[in-house]
Amino acid sequence: MAESPARTAFAEEALTHLDVLYRGALRLTRDPDQAQDLVQEAYVRALRYQHSYQPGTNMKAWLFAIMRNLFWDRFKGSRKEDVSLDDVGEFVLYDKLRDEGAKPEADVLDKLAASEVVEAVEKLPPLHREVVLLVDVEGFSYKDAAQTLGVPIGTVMSRLHRARQQLQRSLYEYAVESGIVHRNGTGQVPQQ
Amino acid sequence: MNCNDCVEKLDQYVDRELNNTEVLELKRHLEGCPPCADQYEFQASLKRLVKVCCDKDTAPAAFREKLRQILL
Repeated sequence: MAESPARTAFAEEALTHLDVLYRGALRLTRDPDQAQDLVQEAYVRALRYQHSYQPGTNMKAWLFAIMRNLFWDRFKGSRKEDVSLDDVGEFVLYDKLRDEGAKPEADVLDKLAASEVVEAVEKLPPLHREVVLLVDVEGFSYKDAAQTLGVPIGTVMSRLHRARQQLQRSLYEYAVESGIVHRNGTGQVPQQ
Repeated sequence: MNCNDCVEKLDQYVDRELNNTEVLELKRHLEGCPPCADQYEFQASLKRLVKVCCDKDTAPAAFREKLRQILL
């Protein structure tokens, strides 16, 4: 089907953000096939509602917002489902490692497998996961993340803080299970 | 700035969300406070680690081509 030059140019520009959308969809759905379905639907919708995009604004954020809204509508059924934001309490991996004699603390991070880090991110509740994806992985500002998620900046900050707490707890558990650190102050970071 | 103020602002510091005045205050504190500096390094390392581990995936070439055919 012949498309107008403006529509083609818009689609070309939108496709420059494909990897960002795909990564986000992959982390949200945790399934490559579902991620592709989600991204495809997001692009079809983006072109359908092209008129609502304001040129010169952040297209990546606009596309991501379409994709994550579809995720909540299609894959989660309802925004109220599966949004457990249980307060895990303050958990600071750095303090934990320091208390348990793992020195230097940052060396522990070097010993974590990338797959475990990805798994820890994917274990986060979706509302926490998406803010980590935007701010930590894709480098969105708090303002752009807030706009993308449709929440105030303060909500981005509090979700991000809690997400990082949960992430650190998961990584600590992994570090203990894999023998990188030992619970209760008996461990040291093994040297490679 | 004391250590509590510093720790409270570390998230925003690693995310580059503080204004210039706040950055200067925090940097000054970090220079004189090794425990807070260590904690900052740890948080910054964790953020880098999450990015490095999670931004490797790219859209499969076949999927990219399929989208181009649908959209262009």
